[in-house]
Amino acid sequence: MISVLVVAILFTMIGIAGYGYSPGEPLKAAFIYVGPVGDYGWSHAHNEGRKYVDEKFPWLETVYAETVPEADAYRYIERFVVEEGADVVFTTSFGFMGSTLETATNYPDKIFFHCSGYQRAPNMGTYFSEFHQIYYLNGLIAGAMTKSGKTGYIGAYPIPEVVRHINAFALGVKEANPEATVDVRWLFAWYDPSKARLAAEALIADGIDVLAFTEDSPTVVQVGQEYVEEGEPVYTFGHYSPMQRFGEDSCVSGQLVRWEALYEEILAKIYAGVYNNTNLQEVDYWWMLKEKACELGGEFGIPINPNFEATLKEKKVVDPILGEISVYDLVMERLAQMSEETVLFDPFTGPIRDQAGNVRIEAGRRGSHDELWLMDWFVENVRGEIPR
Amino acid sequence: MDFIISTLKIVLPAGTPLLLGTLGEIYSERSGVLNLGVEGMMIMGAVSAFGTTMATGNVWLGIMAACLVGGGMALIHGLLSITFRANQIVSGLALTIFGVGLSALIGRAYVGLPLPAKIRASPLPVLEDIPVIGEVLFKQDALVYLSLFLLTPLFWFVLFKTKWGISLRAVGEKPKTANGAGVNVYLVRYLAVFIGGLMAGMGGAYLSLAYTPAWSEGMTVGSGWIVIALTIFALWKPERAVWGAYLFGGVKVLQYRLQPLGISPNLLNMLPFILTMTVVVLVSAQEKIKRKVGAPAALGIPYVKEER
Repeated sequence: MISVLVVAILFTMIGIAGYGYSPGEPLKAAFIYVGPVGDYGWSHAHNEGRKYVDEKFPWLETVYAETVPEADAYRYIERFVVEEGADVVFTTSFGFMGSTLETATNYPDKIFFHCSGYQRAPNMGTYFSEFHQIYYLNGLIAGAMTKSGKTGYIGAYPIPEVVRHINAFALGVKEANPEATVDVRWLFAWYDPSKARLAAEALIADGIDVLAFTEDSPTVVQVGQEYVEEGEPVYTFGHYSPMQRFGEDSCVSGQLVRWEALYEEILAKIYAGVYNNTNLQEVDYWWMLKEKACELGGEFGIPINPNFEATLKEKKVVDPILGEISVYDLVMERLAQMSEETVLFDPFTGPIRDQAGNVRIEAGRRGSHDELWLMDWFVENVRGEIPR
Repeated sequence: MDFIISTLKIVLPAGTPLLLGTLGEIYSERSGVLNLGVEGMMIMGAVSAFGTTMATGNVWLGIMAACLVGGGMALIHGLLSITFRANQIVSGLALTIFGVGLSALIGRAYVGLPLPAKIRASPLPVLEDIPVIGEVLFKQDALVYLSLFLLTPLFWFVLFKTKWGISLRAVGEKPKTANGAGVNVYLVRYLAVFIGGLMAGMGGAYLSLAYTPAWSEGMTVGSGWIVIALTIFALWKPERAVWGAYLFGGVKVLQYRLQPLGISPNLLNMLPFILTMTVVVLVSAQEKIKRKVGAPAALGIPYVKEER
């Protein structure tokens, strides 16, 4: 009698397991966005990635929901797996972490990938496209472009990710111009064009002439362009989406994301059976230049705006290993080093001091994943504080 | 001194979309129609201005389109709340939700595109050379001039110095009496609401063509709601709307200018709303004050024409 029961239970379990995705079958992927796909920032970029894989893989069908409130995410995710029959769900906001884990626990036969979080499960992996290498390259250029010796950074929220990017930018600025500083203003918004303009103008009024930022609109680039046209040049770096087109005479370079690289990798591996609903506990993508999950430039394929090539080729710095080298060549060299299979260079290589002068990363050591992931201090040439 | 001049110079553009919207909402509310659809009309104005300028390369056509679209949307509110006597709050909120959604749909094709033409600063010759004042007042763009030097005095003049202005105020105070005096209450209210829409649309156009010249979803980020607060703060007076708009704009500017001193931007961000709430409390607390400041007595109350 007991054996019959055991067999019945075993069959039921196989039945449940068999309900999951079998490799080689048509695959349905759902995407949950926190913002509108028309924001020209975070959600827009994820949606571009989705469109890319949707077109590329004939066996793939995609669905998405935009402007999903974080408190409501569970309902959306559940609807996708139950009613739409999605095999894999990508949740693309840090705030979706809890609800993603909950659905992953309740639907163990489905596959989940959460962007920018740290919690995983056998059927839930994580992925992220990290920008600090590019911000460092932007910083090198900024240090060479500034005439006042004051550069600025407009940050969205004082969280480790943004702090890390400000620091990477400041390290680049310092390498090209040891005297130059980075002034910081916080917006307390991921997207607010009016606030971005106000912060940019406040920094410019304080004598800053080069601006980088974390905000989802091209406003800062446009403000820079206006100042260039008025004869008081302010140089800028595009953020996230192609923004050079909004200020050809101001936007020197920028950071561009390529989520499609990650979506292509993950979906292809699910299709091939490499990833399934049991082996994702340790799958944590932290992709950068090497994996082509991000790109240097204000437009895809243009790492440095040609309008500024000559200026950057003229400006020389002395590198302990490379000797005297133009900033243009230095940027290209570092870009190549960070794009290699074995990454030969990382901006967070010691010695790195914080604002109080304490050594945070000792000479010869690279900052660890956790040090970068949890960063809550500014490097020495940053002016401003991290609100607690 | 430099700090003050450079701050004041960026206050005017920051306050301009608020001023445009507030002038219009003052007319609407003065006639007795509360329109909470400002955010929706504004963002529809922004997307229409952007789209029209993309198609024609002419910012003035863009502004005109924004005004017409804003006015058109206001007429929907008019139809619902004046003719059908629907709840003004519900109808206005619906208009905002409708506008935000529709603009996102229309604007999908415009995301990430730079404009062929923008509203640029056009310094006024001679005047711009006046020390301090020239820098602050006369190195701005056309819409700053238009709203400050032309529209504000015009709105004040029409409201307080013309016969139509008296009718407008009467309709918002005692529509029954106004009707008795031969004023067409419905017509006056429709016109006032339409003007409110025109101005909200223009405010949106200022955002998408001058202040943050690009299109992305939800780009007005609550400006329309600030307009509604500002209308109360201005005590329904165009001349006070100027100061209010620049004060609200100024507070926004100071958030970033004072941040290095360790002053929390969140604190400054609350300031306009604290001021508005104070005014609301004062105005609602006592009937006497309410009468004195000129809050329209019939605000929010649909008018029913009586049978004779």
